[in-house]
Amino acid sequence: MSFVPQLNERSMNEINFDATPEPALPAEIPVMSPAKSRGTEGKEAAKSLIEIEDLGFSYDLGQTETLRNITLSIPKGQVTSFIGPSGCGKSTLLRCLNRMNDLIDTAKVTRGKIKIMGQDIHAADVDPIELRKRVGMVFQKYNPFPKSIFENAAYGMRIQGVKSQKVLAEAVERALKQSALWDEVKDRLNSSALGLSGGQQQRLCIARAIAVQPEIILMDEPCSALDPIATARIEELITDLKENYTIVIVTHNMQQATRVSARTAFFYLGELIEVGPTTKIFGNPSKKQTEDYVSGRFG
Amino acid sequence: MAKQFEKRDRRFLGIGVQSAIKGFFGGNALLSIAILLLICVFLGKEAFLFFPDHHKGLQLYRKSGQEYVDGMKRQVEDHADLNSLMAQAYFAEKADIAGREWGVVDAFGYLVDLAEDEGEDEIDAWADAREELEDAEEDAEVKRAESEARAAWGEKLGEILAKADRAEADRFGRLEAGEWERLKASMAEWDPVEEEPPAFVVQAEKDLKAKMGTFEAARNAFAAAVGPLNDLKETLRGKAMVVKEEAEADLTAVARKKALVEGAAASTNSEDRQRRLDEAAAIVIREKFPFAERTEVFYESKPEHARLAAEYLVALKAAMELVPRAPGSKEAEARLTQIRSELPDVLQDFSRNSVMVQEWRHDKPYGWWRSISAFFFGKDWVTNSSWHDFFGLLPLFTGSLLISVIALMVAVPFAVSAAIYVNQLARRWEQTIIKPAIEFVQAIPSVVLGFFGIMVLGTFLRELSQVEALSWVPGFPMAERLNILNAGLLLGLMAVPTIFTLCEDALNNVPRAFGEASLALGASKLQTVWRVIAPAAASGILAAVLLGFGRVIGETMVVLLVAGNKIAIPDFSEGIGVITQPAHTMTGIIAQETGEVDKGSLHWRALFMVGLILFVISLFLNWTAQRIIHRFRIA
Ligand SMILES: Nc1ncnc2c1ncn2[C@@H]1O[C@H](COP(=O)(O)OP(=O)(O)OP(=O)(O)O)[C@@H](O)[C@H]1O
Ligand SMILES: [Mg+2]
Repeated sequence: MSFVPQLNERSMNEINFDATPEPALPAEIPVMSPAKSRGTEGKEAAKSLIEIEDLGFSYDLGQTETLRNITLSIPKGQVTSFIGPSGCGKSTLLRCLNRMNDLIDTAKVTRGKIKIMGQDIHAADVDPIELRKRVGMVFQKYNPFPKSIFENAAYGMRIQGVKSQKVLAEAVERALKQSALWDEVKDRLNSSALGLSGGQQQRLCIARAIAVQPEIILMDEPCSALDPIATARIEELITDLKENYTIVIVTHNMQQATRVSARTAFFYLGELIEVGPTTKIFGNPSKKQTEDYVSGRFG
Repeated sequence: MAKQFEKRDRRFLGIGVQSAIKGFFGGNALLSIAILLLICVFLGKEAFLFFPDHHKGLQLYRKSGQEYVDGMKRQVEDHADLNSLMAQAYFAEKADIAGREWGVVDAFGYLVDLAEDEGEDEIDAWADAREELEDAEEDAEVKRAESEARAAWGEKLGEILAKADRAEADRFGRLEAGEWERLKASMAEWDPVEEEPPAFVVQAEKDLKAKMGTFEAARNAFAAAVGPLNDLKETLRGKAMVVKEEAEADLTAVARKKALVEGAAASTNSEDRQRRLDEAAAIVIREKFPFAERTEVFYESKPEHARLAAEYLVALKAAMELVPRAPGSKEAEARLTQIRSELPDVLQDFSRNSVMVQEWRHDKPYGWWRSISAFFFGKDWVTNSSWHDFFGLLPLFTGSLLISVIALMVAVPFAVSAAIYVNQLARRWEQTIIKPAIEFVQAIPSVVLGFFGIMVLGTFLRELSQVEALSWVPGFPMAERLNILNAGLLLGLMAVPTIFTLCEDALNNVPRAFGEASLALGASKLQTVWRVIAPAAASGILAAVLLGFGRVIGETMVVLLVAGNKIAIPDFSEGIGVITQPAHTMTGIIAQETGEVDKGSLHWRALFMVGLILFVISLFLNWTAQRIIHRFRIA
């Protein structure tokens, strides 16, 4: 799979995950259909989808490095949590993965590279717009557009040029069902999204992200603005979604990390301290800093 | 310790510093509200006193018989419009079918005028010499003098002919090859005393008459048809004028008498005192002006008007019969067709005016609603007239509106797209150039812009409009340098910073999260702007446009200098070309006329009324803009 538009031969509006592997893909990464259940978390599924190699990142043209020496691989079909004290660079790293940081004039990757599905995302011929179509994002503060519920969910399809009302309606329904919102909104698809509750709005944002069927969904503290009940629903949703998508989630909530994620990465002052299965990070961390953090001694 | 929570506020003259500061700011806010209220009250009072006065004025207009006379005046004026079309048709026909003859006759006329002008002395001398010769034919002396005078004239004629300017003689290029030379040669034979034109010119005159005779007769008959009616109108007009002046004098009689008596009492000079007292005694104070008696003459003229109106219709019909059915000129044909198509409407108006004239009564009460609508929908703004002042808002309102609409059509696309570009798409360094540059426009004094409009833009537009290749553009070539288009363009420029700044604010108010969400979904920057940012800012942009409109309609200096200040409803028959006509505006009229009217006069109050309407329009625009912003504010 490629983010290089000219190499991408499929027309944008017929994204189909049941397609056969593309020749552009490295042979060792199996492309599996997210639509099909991947029940096992066997060795193969654990093959990494995102490879971060010795990444350095700066917000000020390289004067100071906000991220340093990050080497991390994120496996396909799992939920990975990023944890760490405030300001350690979790959001920054997350936003590197879909190149949202490109929007900041002075932001710059100083070292290393990020490969997603084998493709270096900073290669000259990669179009960040194509990349973002494959790597969706859900923000900390729910931010649906001031449009109808339907239009919110359909937005990603519309900008890809889908015009057929039927295709849009199907995609919207599928996305809303996947994000467990369908039953609550199916009767008022045309009313404003801003009239929904906070938790519903956040689920709508998730629906909006998955409507274009990305490969990866990045979530930056998706529950931090929600109450415990809404949080529980989102967590449920994440658990359901991991069947079909690879999810990276930033969270400050340790319980949340243990509940939803298979793997956890702990960051401190712009560096990756430790990464491993969630049970190990919380049960038996190998680094002192990690232990201090997860046991609540600082942060 | 009781002291612990003591107030620490320092006091000055018994007032706490904190409360003094608070009072200062609060007082300023209150003051501005109070001033606003005062303005409203002042404007409202002066303006609303306008209506009773205006009503009185219109009542006098009716009672004095002016209304009656104006009914006839409209009939005469409507005819004049047709008449000018008829003249155009006539001249077009003359130029097309008898152009050659016309050219010869005209050029000959020019040569004769020139010769008689320049050679006046020589001609007179020769004429005298010839007269003497007639009395004393044998006298050699006289004979010699005569031949000398003739030679002098011959010489002068040579000079004159050398000076004769063909372009002047034949301005429309009607002379055929060789005719100019022939005319000049014929001048040598021409006798300045007898003034007999050469034969070929006589022939041309004859031909011209043969070709144009009937049309000329028709034209003359057409023009003359309204003559008697016009004469009647003129006679009555003088009479109505007198009635009005006397009635007005009567209205002020009490006040004038009082002033004279007071003046006399204060006067130290006995002669002066006596003069004043005499003058005061001469002022008759009547309980009521005898309108019925004074307007009898109008009632008496009604049958005559009826007769003349009927005669006019007959004469007009007869004149139209005379007009050639198939003129040789396309232009003439077009004009005649226009006359024929307008004729039914004109005749309808004519009979309506006839009815109005016949039904006029000086004592018919004038409706309030009529006098109010005479202001709001009146088509004339005529002031300082010896006849009657009309205060009709419509010409000023249309002028303001047309200019504002043009200004907005220029400013809105430019300002909105500039705001979107600067706010969403521009690089940092572009922002640092474009934003101050646009905002700098605001710093240009409007009088400077007006000056620019007169000197540069006006001339440029005028010259552009005269380019042959652009003659298809409606309204081109434009007759006036100062016109609606010119003023609209400049006001558009002035509105750009207002709309731009407000639009940019509106775009800034769109939460960043919307843009981020869109971009994170793989939208391009342009898609994001188009589908998310601009719609989210739409209400703010609309409000910006409304406030820009308010700015434009309230602007004074530029329109005063550049709009051409012609108080008339522009002629919309040219369609969009209407914008190349001059106009006057509500703001312009206030600026122009306030200085020269008497305080408290009807005219003065009318200007206040215009001001109040401007105020209300601005208020309404601002209020709507606020409401829009409020209503659609994103939570
Ligand atoms: N747009 C930016 N420009 C410059 N510096 C930034 C920007 N965003 C973040 N930073 C800095 O980068 C560092 C990492 O920030 P980041 O938002 O990635 O932290 P975080 O781990 O997500 O924190 P939190 O848990 O509070 O969200 C911080 O020191 C922050 O001040
Ligand atoms: Mg963060």
